[in-house]
Amino acid sequence: MMALLEFREMLRSFYGKYDAVLTAVVKFAVSVTAFWMLNDSIGYMEKLKNPVVWLSMSLVCSFLPYSIISFLAGIVLVAHISSVSLELALILSLIFLMVAILYYGFQPGDGYLLLLTPLLFQFKIPYVIPLLVGLSGGLAGIVPVSCGVFVYYIIQYVKQNAGVLTNDAALDITQKYVQIIKNMMGNRVMVVMIIAFAAGILVVYLIRTLSVDYAWHIAIVAGAMTQLMVIFVGDFMFDVSVPMVEMLIGMIAAMILAAVYNFFVFAVDYSRTEYIQFQDDDYYYYVKAVPKITVSAPDVKVQKINSTRNRRREF
Amino acid sequence: MLNEDRLKLMTSIGMFEKKEGKRIFPVYRYFRSDYIGKHLLRSFLGFSICWVLGTALVVLYKAEDILATLNFNEIAGYGKTYIGAYLAGLVVYLLITYWVYWRRYEYASRGMKVYVAKLKRLEKRYEMQGKNGQGGRKA
Repeated sequence: MMALLEFREMLRSFYGKYDAVLTAVVKFAVSVTAFWMLNDSIGYMEKLKNPVVWLSMSLVCSFLPYSIISFLAGIVLVAHISSVSLELALILSLIFLMVAILYYGFQPGDGYLLLLTPLLFQFKIPYVIPLLVGLSGGLAGIVPVSCGVFVYYIIQYVKQNAGVLTNDAALDITQKYVQIIKNMMGNRVMVVMIIAFAAGILVVYLIRTLSVDYAWHIAIVAGAMTQLMVIFVGDFMFDVSVPMVEMLIGMIAAMILAAVYNFFVFAVDYSRTEYIQFQDDDYYYYVKAVPKITVSAPDVKVQKINSTRNRRREF
Repeated sequence: MLNEDRLKLMTSIGMFEKKEGKRIFPVYRYFRSDYIGKHLLRSFLGFSICWVLGTALVVLYKAEDILATLNFNEIAGYGKTYIGAYLAGLVVYLLITYWVYWRRYEYASRGMKVYVAKLKRLEKRYEMQGKNGQGGRKA
């Protein structure tokens, strides 16, 4: 435990020293992964698949805020889809515009969730998102996470139906439009996932804010269980098929990642909890103070008392 | 001569400005009613634009049904529901906007109090140093 705590302090001081560089590197990595994933899944526009284009875009993204990176990724997504179906690209543009006006008009500063949710779906650990959002943010996180789930399933829809969307000359534009909307909104797996993630965020957030010992640990377990339960209920009620083994492994990985996050952000020692009671003119105060677990980073200095050089001089 | 105590205070004020400045100073330029009113107006326009866009999506989706029912009473009924839904959505959205910006203004005003208190402390330090300095020269 002590070694882990020292490691945490070392990481903290390392981040403190190089935070500007590290932030840029992380943004570059996220952008590269996002553009690569888009090109790999739905790369129908050849110009955007050119490595020079998406690598230089990622490089520029290293110095931009996450909201702008999400915006650029959205443009790339719509551009790729427009090569397959102009109607779907138009519908998506309108939906993105509406989300941008209605939600991002508040400038909530959580644009990264729009990027991370589809990315973690790709890495088969999407269940970690509700846990982390519930632990670190508020209930407003439900909106960008739901949008992220929607984006992932749109990518899957386009990937699986690219041929149909391109060659459906028999249908006129209205029929095509109706069919796209029906397929998009009728995706039951997407609906179940959105409900599961929203319920996960809600449960984690509510338990995390309770004044009980080990609230964060309980919140992680309860959040994972809630997601599992909603998906199982969706499975039975709406006949949704989710690969069980993959989901269980993903859920365990999500809980481990959330525990790691908890260790880095909220390591406290409940055995040394203190309860204080006092009053002023207006209120009685019942304060619960839980000390943080802190250690100082080891500062090893090797001091040479008799160096070989000096000895030689002496001789 | 460098005054360590004052330097610490100035550094803390600088850090505070850097961390909280964006959330305090642009907000505190307005009166509360002006700040919230400005955002309510923006939200009203934003919601109305989105409602029109959403309507376009729904009308295109339901185009065949709408054209099939060319009954005036039915269309009037749809119209009433449409306006009712718009007003209900608008009220909910404006309430959310009011709550969000009211909280942000509260946060900014609390932050401003802390900032002003820090500045006052700094000012006192300068005054004390000035008095001490004058005293020294007189002696």
